[in-house]
Amino acid sequence: MEKLYVNEIRPNGEVSTVGLFYSRGEAENIVAQLRNIPEKSECYYEIVEAVAGSPSTSSPKQMREPVKG
Amino acid sequence: MADPVLASMVHALGLETARHYTAATPQVQAYRDRWAELAKFRDGPVNPQRVEVSDPAEMAQQIKAKAMELGASMVGICRLQPHMIDLGEDVLHEFVIVACVAEDYGKVVHGANAVEEEAMRTYAKCTEIATDLAAYIRNLGYPALAHHNGGSAVQAIPIFYQVGFGELGRHGSLINEKYGASFRPGFVTTDLPLVEDQPREFGVQDFCMNCNVCQLNCPGDAIPKEHVMTHGIKRWLIDLEKCYPYSRLRDEYCHLCVDVCPYNVKSHPKTYKSFMKERKQVGYKTPKSW
Repeated sequence: MEKLYVNEIRPNGEVSTVGLFYSRGEAENIVAQLRNIPEKSECYYEIVEAVAGSPSTSSPKQMREPVKG
Repeated sequence: MADPVLASMVHALGLETARHYTAATPQVQAYRDRWAELAKFRDGPVNPQRVEVSDPAEMAQQIKAKAMELGASMVGICRLQPHMIDLGEDVLHEFVIVACVAEDYGKVVHGANAVEEEAMRTYAKCTEIATDLAAYIRNLGYPALAHHNGGSAVQAIPIFYQVGFGELGRHGSLINEKYGASFRPGFVTTDLPLVEDQPREFGVQDFCMNCNVCQLNCPGDAIPKEHVMTHGIKRWLIDLEKCYPYSRLRDEYCHLCVDVCPYNVKSHPKTYKSFMKERKQVGYKTPKSW
């Protein structure tokens, strides 16, 4: 699946990660909704591809079976 | 299926007809039925004879005492802010009250199904508390809406943080110093005049920076090493694509990231040590000193 970060960039330059999303459509929908919030009217948004090695996509270890109860 | 990530994964993996998260034991289904049954009582008529509030601090104490009487383990109050409301929803109330019920951590030694049943029991109890508390406030003459598994427009984690329940942990749940992350919430939004609680930090995020027990116990490797920042708070974003095959798309519940968290040791030292001994025996990481 595609993995994308949505970042919020505030007027003072502070960058805040909104979240990790799994399709461009979902990410764009979130950005559109955030842009409709009056308090965030001066914020900019970027959609960034989450590449392997970035925080939430660190290379997977060998998959392990969870312990059964 | 409301969760778009889960829905797309189910479709991509051809699991539309497979047994997955919708499967439930009769007891779990009974708990789910309970919150569905109470959904129609989230809102209701407001008593036209309003009780005037001269001391919001005293009223806040009264509301907290009522929630505890109804069965809550901890209660907090804060002003409702835009980031606490689901995108696309509109909740015009001024305050949000959160009432949490602690789960019985002892269930971990009885296996995944026991943990799931306890989680659902707790959610059902939270639903009852939120419903009754909202009705209590409406009877005082103020609008009040319950938010719970039967219907909600609020986000749990930012509210937990704002009322001072604790800090966000590496596993993506908020950690309280007494209950770890083993608690579930119900909420009431209202215009009843209240006094808000304050955020409280006691070192969780610093602790999580040096503790990777949840990350190394996650069967799907869904918990990242690195964090991102959101408005000055560290967030370890769980990769749902890796989490769901273990937590949703199989017969058994998975709650391991919360169950192995060392913050559980304070409230349940014997159970935690016993559980982690089992984990160690099957090759999983345990805290360094054990």
